[in-house]
Amino acid sequence: MAAAGPSVFLLMVNGQVESAQFPEYDDLYCKYCFVYGQDWAPTAGLEEGISQITSKSRDVRQALVWNFPIDVTFKSTNPYGWPQIVLSVYGPDVFGNDVVRGYGAVHLPFSPGRHKRTIPMFVPESTSKLQKFTSWFMGRRPEYTDPKVVAQGEGREVTRVRSQGFVTLLFNVVTKDMRKLGYDTGPSDTQGVPGPSPPPGLPL
Amino acid sequence: MAEVHVIGQIMGATGFSESSLFCKWGIHTGAAWKLLSGIREGQTQVDTPQVGDMAYWSHPIDLHFATKGLQGWPRLHLQVWSQDSFGRCQLAGYGFCHVPSSPGTHQLDCPTWRPLGSWREQLARAFVGGGPQLLHGDAIYSGADRYRLHTAAGGTVHLELGLLLRHFDRYGVEC
Repeated sequence: MAAAGPSVFLLMVNGQVESAQFPEYDDLYCKYCFVYGQDWAPTAGLEEGISQITSKSRDVRQALVWNFPIDVTFKSTNPYGWPQIVLSVYGPDVFGNDVVRGYGAVHLPFSPGRHKRTIPMFVPESTSKLQKFTSWFMGRRPEYTDPKVVAQGEGREVTRVRSQGFVTLLFNVVTKDMRKLGYDTGPSDTQGVPGPSPPPGLPL
Repeated sequence: MAEVHVIGQIMGATGFSESSLFCKWGIHTGAAWKLLSGIREGQTQVDTPQVGDMAYWSHPIDLHFATKGLQGWPRLHLQVWSQDSFGRCQLAGYGFCHVPSSPGTHQLDCPTWRPLGSWREQLARAFVGGGPQLLHGDAIYSGADRYRLHTAAGGTVHLELGLLLRHFDRYGVEC
């Protein structure tokens, strides 16, 4: 009875990995990749990337800037498994080895518009002090064999991590045919402005 | 049937006196709701913050519900626990919040509470750890027997949840 409509919707995301704040580390580079469900497929753009190595600026901001472009388009039949961007940040340790400084992940925003997201970055932590010393000394820190684990919820209950920095990302999102398929994504969330909620620190 | 997608993260927690925290979470819905895809409950990693005092979990939540009615809108219930260097776990707070009902991205701050015991139990908790816990988790999100409890405030859990609704306008529901 209904006219044949689209069965697939598109999500186009461009933007950048803007900058990072890691108070204790310097000379960092980052890698990104996307994790998505079975109903999703990338149709255009790059699925992974490695940025340049950046050093902290000498001024008072101590900024670590990458300004690294992201440009990808996905198609899907189902919002379940919405793509997440997984970031891994690496840097040299005291001995010159490349060690992981943080992993982080966030869902790509789904309302069309401009969004800014600052995500925390964490590293897995050894449990015993001896192992911590050995890994510092040998330059082989605990790391995930596949960074995509960070985008999943299962299996995390056994990991201990330490959060030690933040990365800021900017996204511009455009969707096609989501409304025709009946999905309501809400108002465009410009600049990632949060909804009404009391600011932290005030009594609830 | 109308469909609801809850896509977001349990970001982390602030305001707890302990520092190595993890969170057990679950979603409870009414009888009219059916979970089509996603995992209904889980447990986050244990985080010890190096910078600042917010423990960050960034635990992804991706759920797909189909519903025949508005009653029993999904509620997210949380239990925050702390883990010390010996691996012992101690309850830091219980909390719940309803999943938002308007589409879009929402920043949620969920306050938590923990049961206080008698003065003896409070003293023991301060020195040795432990402390009373709820036997049945449904007191966290239901109001039924709450009048029996005497509780103290814990910290706040921060969530960023995005909501995608489908076909709600077909049924005349305004969200």
